[in-house]
Amino acid sequence: MKERNTTSTLKRILVNCSSQAKEYGGCVAKKVPEVERDMCLKEFLALKNCMQNVCLTSVFCYIKNFSMSANASSSQLTVGLSGSGGLSHAYVQYPPLKCNLPGSRGLYYDDANKLLLSPTSDQVFSWKTVPFSPHVAATADYINEGPVLSIRYSLDAKSIAVHRSNQEIQFFQRETRETFTHMCKSESESILGFFWTDCPVCDLVVVKTSGLDLLTVSFTSKSVNLVETKKLSVNWYVYTHGSRLVLLASGMQCKTLTGFQLSSVGIVRLPRFEMVMAKSDANSKPVLAAEDVFIITVYGRIYCLQIDRVAMQLHSYRFYRDAVVQQGSLPMFSSKISVSVVDNVLLVHQVDARVSILYDIFEDSRAPISAPLPLLLRGLPQSHTGRPVNVGESLDRNSSNHELMFYGDDWTFLVPDLICDVASKSVWKIHLDLEVISSSSSEVPSNLEFLQRRKLEASKTKQLCLAITRAFILERRPVTMVAKAIDVLVSSYSHSVKTCSNLKETKVDEASASVGTNASNSSRSAKDESRVGVGDKSFNLSASDSDDQSREIDSRDLQKSGKENLLGAESSRGEVQSSSLHTQQLGLGNNQLNANNSERQDSQLTSPAISPDEMYSCVFVPVGEEIVGDPSYLVAIIVEFLRSTNSEKIKVRPNIYVFTIQLLVRYERFAELSLLIINKVLEPSKEVAMQLLESGHQNPQMRKLALDMLRQLSLHHDYVTLLVQDGCYLEALRYARKHKVTSVRPSLFLEAALASKDSQHLAAVLRFFSDFIAGFRNTPEYQDYFRILNEMNTGLAV
Amino acid sequence: MGLASVNTASEGMQLCIFDLRRGQQEGQELDKILFFFPADLPFATQLSVIGLSEGLITFTRIFSPDAACEVIEAERHSHVFYEAESDIWMVMVVDKSKESKAACQVDALRKVLKEVHSLFVLFHGTMRSMLEKETSGGLIRSHLYPFITDYLSGCGDLNLTCNFWADFLIGRKLQLPSFHDCLMERGTVQMLTVGREAAIEVQSLVKVLECSAGTTSCYSLVLFQDLLVSTTLSPDDTISLFTYAVLRLTPHALSSGATSWSYLQRTNAGSQVPALSTITNSGSVSDNIYRSQNNCQVKRPLHHNRWFRGNDGFLASDIWGTDNGSQTSVTPIVYLQLTEERMYLCAYQHKSLTIILLVPVSSILNGEQGLSLVKQQVLENASLKMLMVEEKLSKGWGGENAYHVSGYRYLLVDDERVSRASPPAKVMTLAKESLLALSKLREEVNLEKKRAKCSSKLEICVRAKNGAWVIARTSRGKELYMVLEKASETLLYAADSVEKFSNRYCSGVFSLD
Repeated sequence: MKERNTTSTLKRILVNCSSQAKEYGGCVAKKVPEVERDMCLKEFLALKNCMQNVCLTSVFCYIKNFSMSANASSSQLTVGLSGSGGLSHAYVQYPPLKCNLPGSRGLYYDDANKLLLSPTSDQVFSWKTVPFSPHVAATADYINEGPVLSIRYSLDAKSIAVHRSNQEIQFFQRETRETFTHMCKSESESILGFFWTDCPVCDLVVVKTSGLDLLTVSFTSKSVNLVETKKLSVNWYVYTHGSRLVLLASGMQCKTLTGFQLSSVGIVRLPRFEMVMAKSDANSKPVLAAEDVFIITVYGRIYCLQIDRVAMQLHSYRFYRDAVVQQGSLPMFSSKISVSVVDNVLLVHQVDARVSILYDIFEDSRAPISAPLPLLLRGLPQSHTGRPVNVGESLDRNSSNHELMFYGDDWTFLVPDLICDVASKSVWKIHLDLEVISSSSSEVPSNLEFLQRRKLEASKTKQLCLAITRAFILERRPVTMVAKAIDVLVSSYSHSVKTCSNLKETKVDEASASVGTNASNSSRSAKDESRVGVGDKSFNLSASDSDDQSREIDSRDLQKSGKENLLGAESSRGEVQSSSLHTQQLGLGNNQLNANNSERQDSQLTSPAISPDEMYSCVFVPVGEEIVGDPSYLVAIIVEFLRSTNSEKIKVRPNIYVFTIQLLVRYERFAELSLLIINKVLEPSKEVAMQLLESGHQNPQMRKLALDMLRQLSLHHDYVTLLVQDGCYLEALRYARKHKVTSVRPSLFLEAALASKDSQHLAAVLRFFSDFIAGFRNTPEYQDYFRILNEMNTGLAV
Repeated sequence: MGLASVNTASEGMQLCIFDLRRGQQEGQELDKILFFFPADLPFATQLSVIGLSEGLITFTRIFSPDAACEVIEAERHSHVFYEAESDIWMVMVVDKSKESKAACQVDALRKVLKEVHSLFVLFHGTMRSMLEKETSGGLIRSHLYPFITDYLSGCGDLNLTCNFWADFLIGRKLQLPSFHDCLMERGTVQMLTVGREAAIEVQSLVKVLECSAGTTSCYSLVLFQDLLVSTTLSPDDTISLFTYAVLRLTPHALSSGATSWSYLQRTNAGSQVPALSTITNSGSVSDNIYRSQNNCQVKRPLHHNRWFRGNDGFLASDIWGTDNGSQTSVTPIVYLQLTEERMYLCAYQHKSLTIILLVPVSSILNGEQGLSLVKQQVLENASLKMLMVEEKLSKGWGGENAYHVSGYRYLLVDDERVSRASPPAKVMTLAKESLLALSKLREEVNLEKKRAKCSSKLEICVRAKNGAWVIARTSRGKELYMVLEKASETLLYAADSVEKFSNRYCSGVFSLD
């Protein structure tokens, strides 16, 4: 059955990609016997692209092939992939962060502080992973000797909590090295884990088999105080700091889940829900394990992914304040699955198949955004060319110092985008190669949409977007298609402009918020209200993170419900789906903002949005230079751009209008130009008027339009000057008198009057200025022209 | 034959077209005549009219070689001259009868001649090129006759025969401008004023049209009702195509009989239309000249009621016959004035929106078939946009009286290309005296314009016999004519009203600085 599937797929590929295959084959045949890596790369990429496109129609087939070959032998896999020239949608960069220390007793990851922790006998070393740098130095803190189940730094990084045993958590204050221990009260329950929280009522949450303990930690009294207990039998739990969400599994199959969100606005209990588990037969009851559930945050929304091994599907659930909604499933091609989130893109690592599939779950589409390809290792010193090296082979070569096996058993995927190789004690950060992703997509508008949602490498993404747009226009795609692409860019820009002001606001608020939290806890309840305020503001921030308009609507409800909730009102239920699950995002948002701030120093950008000015200078002008012949296509695109900006109410600088005029004038399309001017499609401005004047040499109509525009803009000086130039000096005088234009030199008028050889007019002009400008009679100009006038008159008399 | 033609009453109007380069030898004078109306006039009379005209032209050329004679005012006739093409003259002789006394401005009459000519050129190319093609002159004569008669006769009958003689036998009124028309300007386009957003949409549509037609050198004209919205043609071509569209293609023209408010159309509606002449018969001697060609091959683009909307939204006409084999009608070909390029004329209509697309003949390889492909492409790419534009425009449109300004009856002319006027229905409310006074005033202004330099500002206010103020102002190529019947008090009051109008509707162009 499997066999047949494969052949049919292969057949399909061969049928569909025969021309590419022929080209590639021909190329290779030409170069044989000197076979080299990356030869015929171009042809190969064409073939690969084609094959992927065929396969993408049913990813399944492709993966099947892959996993089969992967299972057969890894060398086969290498053969299958290395030819691709090392292109992949996601990669890790060499060198990794090495956490190899003598005497290390394992690696722990504190996702709240983004710290990698490695305890030794009496010390704990920590490495910052944000911003990720392989050369970051470890910080050491002293802890007592003893077993370590997990370690987490407090959110203010002042103390360390160490999970020692089922019954015991030990606390250390970093500065004073004070320490005390918290023990479980009863013997019947054991501690499953713990985490620090920024929830207003407590500092620490301990997950026990009997439920949650919310605690406050006080080093002054060297004790923890129990604030609240949530009774619940718990088999295992999952928590990510990004989502502030803890999921507690209970029941025989562990598929009944209860969620609590402990965010800075308070605690929200989510409705209990059941995970979907397919049964292989009536009697078997598969048990859900903690490794099978992932909490992910994408675009400020919280999802949970759950592995269903029997159905071989990855079910997704989205969390709302008062509901958990199943969202559909992603296919699984491997028994071992892991997920990462990079820049709001979901990566599903099919570990056994050694590939990762990318999903952009912004809209509800479950289609992968690119073909399944393995992660790549880039920047390995051996490959001096800087050429990316592929998985299998590269690591063998390098194996002497780091025995890294891609997708090996030693790999642990850390939230959200790190890979920890436990064996070699190295940590890698996953990057997306947007260039590759976008080049594999033929739908430019949707591709741009995807890119515009990426925030991490904003300036790079922006350049990529510009390049794509330029190429798209240069290829002379249908105007409607280009219009769509432009719409995407413009609306993305308009959104970023709208949220940008919010960003500034929130930064101020953030400062005040931190003051609030650092203040003593005594007046906590009194501060609740102000906290809500903070929450609201910050909420806008999370909205800015997730380009979702509906979010903004949600936020208002959220403000309401958030408040009510804090005041303990249960009635806020059932209102809207929106929830503090969004609100919690504000915490995440803040973190991201901080991260962005540090990045901003090098890139200065937080969003790949493209401003109209950049469109002008980076798209229209270069394209205008390259396009030869009739500019009407480019003008069509500029018109579409103007339509788009107009509908988004974005101001456009006159330079683009001037550019349009130049284009049209160059090909003497005056009819269109004057329509554009008359209807104010090209908005009036001095620059536009001046450009029109320049073209007035070719077409008097343009000069007239320019004059009208100057008059309407009340640019009196220019208008009067031009009138005089046209010889209408009397009219100019009348206009000057009416609008009190004194800046035009009288000599201009006088010269014009003299040129007309009309002594009466000259006299009139002279007289006008002696009345109009005080002291004109004493200027040499007056004397000169008075003399000339006299000569003219005597000449006439004679 | 001859009998019937005796009292055809040439008393109203005579119109002739002749070529000075032809018939220079004695005895071949008849060769000069390309067109004469009424056709049944004896050749001797025709020749005497033409002889006089020719003489005058030759005489005046001595003094003014570039612009010869424009008009002769005789005691009982006015001769209006128009040199359509070099050495091809159109001369109109109008009777100064009691009724039409001081009725028509000469300028308006000349504009009629100009309009006929430009329409003729639009469909047939220049007369000179036609004469060069067929030197005997039979071809052009056979084309000119139906063309001009179609033009001059207002509303047509529903006679669909291709024999135009049948049409002539039916009594028909000629449509000539009168003093009633002095608040309108022939040979200009009327524009629809649109907001920026709508304008961008229109431009976007125009660009999509151009691009979907596949070639860059195609042109388009967009009309809403009887008003121009957008054009990519040169001004002259725009005017002639616009004129044709309003005459025969717009929704109003298609449903002729419905009341219309455009000046070109109005002529069929009102009872005030002056009947200068009635054609009862022609037949007669000139048969030999004008029927020298097979009649049915002569296309009559101005033939009435021959356009209809096809199922696909494109307008079709049987004027140009039907395609061999298929039922589709042949797409007309028009000539651009400057380049003399031949273009297919495709007109599409959606509700009040009419879109005329000109596709170069040279760019379409296999005739009708290729053209239908282009049409299909246009529909595919642009039909949504057209819907949207139509909706947007009709939302913003104020109806027939959109440009009415209460209390004012006005005519605005910009650069002799674009005009806007009070709606005809409103103009009709004016007293005859006011109109006559305005007519006279306009004549005056026209003279003044020719004399003075273009840039001068001009203002004339006249008190008509009935106490109405008749006002003309010009400023930098823009002209404003106005009748204020109710502003009867003082000149100051009238001037103030004009000032207000100028500031409000013309962004102060006519304000006295």
